[in-house]
Amino acid sequence: MMKKKTIQTILHNLLLAVLALIWLVPIVWLLVTSFSAYTGVNATSFFPDEWSLNNYKNLLFSADTVAQFPNWFKNTFLIACASCIVSSAFVLMVAYAMSCMRFKMRKPIMNVAIILNLFPGFLSMIAVYFILKSFNLTNNHWGLVLVYSASSGLGYLIAKGFLDTVPVSLREAAYIDGASEARVFWKVVMPMSRPIIVYTVISSFLAPWMDFVFAKMILNSGISSMWTVAIGLYNMLDRSLINTYFSQFCAGGVLVSIPISILFVIMQKFYVEGITGGAVKG
Amino acid sequence: MKGGKVAAGIKSFFGSVGGVFKNFGTAVAKGDLFVKLSMLVMGAGYIRRKQIIKGILVTLLEAGVIAFTVLFAPQYVSKFGTLGTVVRESVFNMTTMKNEYNDYDNSFLILLMSLVSFVVWAAFLAFYIFNMISVYNLQKAAKEGKHINSFREDIQELLNKKFHITLLFLPVMGILLFTVVPLLVMILVAFTNYDQNHMPPGSLFTWTGLTNFINLFGGGGLTVTFGYAFVRVLAWTLVWAFFSTLTTYIGGILLSLLINNRKTKLPKMWRTLFIITIAVPQFVSLLLVKHFFADNGIFNSFCEAIGLTEALYNAGIISNMSIPFLTSPGWVHVMIILINIWVGVPYQMLIATGVLMNIPGEQLESARIDGATPRQIFRHITMPYMLFVTGPALVTDFVKNINNFNVIYLLTSTYVTTNQALANSQAKETDLLVTWLFTLTQDYYNYKMASAIGIVVFVICAVFTLVAFNRMIRGDREEMFR
Repeated sequence: MMKKKTIQTILHNLLLAVLALIWLVPIVWLLVTSFSAYTGVNATSFFPDEWSLNNYKNLLFSADTVAQFPNWFKNTFLIACASCIVSSAFVLMVAYAMSCMRFKMRKPIMNVAIILNLFPGFLSMIAVYFILKSFNLTNNHWGLVLVYSASSGLGYLIAKGFLDTVPVSLREAAYIDGASEARVFWKVVMPMSRPIIVYTVISSFLAPWMDFVFAKMILNSGISSMWTVAIGLYNMLDRSLINTYFSQFCAGGVLVSIPISILFVIMQKFYVEGITGGAVKG
Repeated sequence: MKGGKVAAGIKSFFGSVGGVFKNFGTAVAKGDLFVKLSMLVMGAGYIRRKQIIKGILVTLLEAGVIAFTVLFAPQYVSKFGTLGTVVRESVFNMTTMKNEYNDYDNSFLILLMSLVSFVVWAAFLAFYIFNMISVYNLQKAAKEGKHINSFREDIQELLNKKFHITLLFLPVMGILLFTVVPLLVMILVAFTNYDQNHMPPGSLFTWTGLTNFINLFGGGGLTVTFGYAFVRVLAWTLVWAFFSTLTTYIGGILLSLLINNRKTKLPKMWRTLFIITIAVPQFVSLLLVKHFFADNGIFNSFCEAIGLTEALYNAGIISNMSIPFLTSPGWVHVMIILINIWVGVPYQMLIATGVLMNIPGEQLESARIDGATPRQIFRHITMPYMLFVTGPALVTDFVKNINNFNVIYLLTSTYVTTNQALANSQAKETDLLVTWLFTLTQDYYNYKMASAIGIVVFVICAVFTLVAFNRMIRGDREEMFR
């Protein structure tokens, strides 16, 4: 009996191991190729024939006209910071208004938001592009920040779901003590919403790192020092460049993935915390 | 029942709109001289009640809108009907000795600025009506000897009872400028002939009515290929959305059950391993996977080494000595869905894990005490609970997959179609409606068709979402946890 159970356990974990292996193959390939001495796509063997650190060295210290990784990283970082501040503020403001306040236009506004969310984002992007162009904001990082953050208020639903679980009695106590709504927002609700604030901040910080379409649309001048990491790396895989830059692409992929993965894992933790709301209830 | 609810919602909406107009009527009819004067000089009513700063601000706003209407709007709105008639021409100017342009019309600017004007006017109209009502309310308050707020108190109101206005102002402006106006512009573009041959500023475009939609649905004579491509792309979009949603949903639940099983050693480690794969940005992981499965890529070398390629070749399934994972129809469709499993299952696993952990413990315990086997518990408690909680999300996932741009574009942006009829309308077998839309705008400047497709996408998404929302008890549950 005991033996059967042990075998089952081993088989069970073996199955998981096989699955994890399948899921990790591309990631491992990314990692090992980034250390390859051969610059193109190695189609004959999974592991590089010759190992080297050159890809990282070239990427970080000898930028050329194609690969300007330090510039891209800086651009993306600044764009991400700016749009993170604006969108987090917008999301939390809308979420608070929709969750904790009651006013006449609340339900209509929420319904309109649902309808607006149904349009594919690219549809409005074309017109946004022309609007930005007429204000001379294309090929400009501020234009990109606007694109990422201006409409962020529409993504308030997760934060609202969290604020809905903040006990109404806490706010009522504050009102009775004579606190104004703004004070309640700052001093009562926000301090209790740490999980969802962290989640909102990280997710809006990550959006510019993950996004590729909008950046490609707005920063289309072809000046590679202006680009973000996503377009820069995408461009490295151009047919004429791939044989010289594929391993550098992998190195760049590893370099952006590390901070992003860490943030992503933290965000997931806070997301679960925010959804289950363990810290607040009671 | 459902119908009744929607009808009630619509009725209450129109009821409140009607109420606003009624109040406006009363204000106009029963207001005193200054209230009536507010119809012309909007701040008059406030100034009469000693709300001087507010009165001045409101009047300034009115003056601003009037200036906008007189000085800015006419040059565009007057041409809205034709979208411009004067084509740009380059004229040699003898005095400056340079080529200069004539005073030409820019159709897109006319469209955009007219729309901005309409939005401004609509907003102003609403503001005007509410202003009259509030001026009249002030009159009533003064008559009844109630307290009238000073400017300072008004500002404080904005941080207290009217805090939602302060909170919502900037976000709503952002949404208005960067979502609503652009959407309206693109909806209008769907009724014009804005494409590569009609590109402002070089040339003009104009209204064409429903032509684009007729072409899209296959009614047009010469452009019948658009109708053909549309049906093909739409069919694949729906097939893709169905299979990608279903596979990742089931896969995610199975994986989370597997990881959360008591037999699993180190569940946290396994979970992290799977999360890592989705933490890598998609433009890195998907582009990599694309080269992994390329015709001369590493996976093909592997298949050749183990003899799979030869076996398939001998069986007559493939015609070259490489397996066209991402280059031939059929293969590519299956591969996209398989690769999407790789992308999507860890996400669903995370969600399913959250749901699993929330299953009420008492239920499981009492089932166990009653002697239920693990299989029975799974069939009669875990699975129904899971379906109940995540069922509505299935539909929203479906809608999300209809719009899933990244997976398709990053995997197949270099895919070349051999189907001439599809290629004529710039589509390919792997395109979803959204990627087709994107190619049409980015590479072919075919804005008119792209906009028409965008509207179709919206309609499809709206239908599915309505279904989802009618099945969920929307909004009514939000007070439940309090």
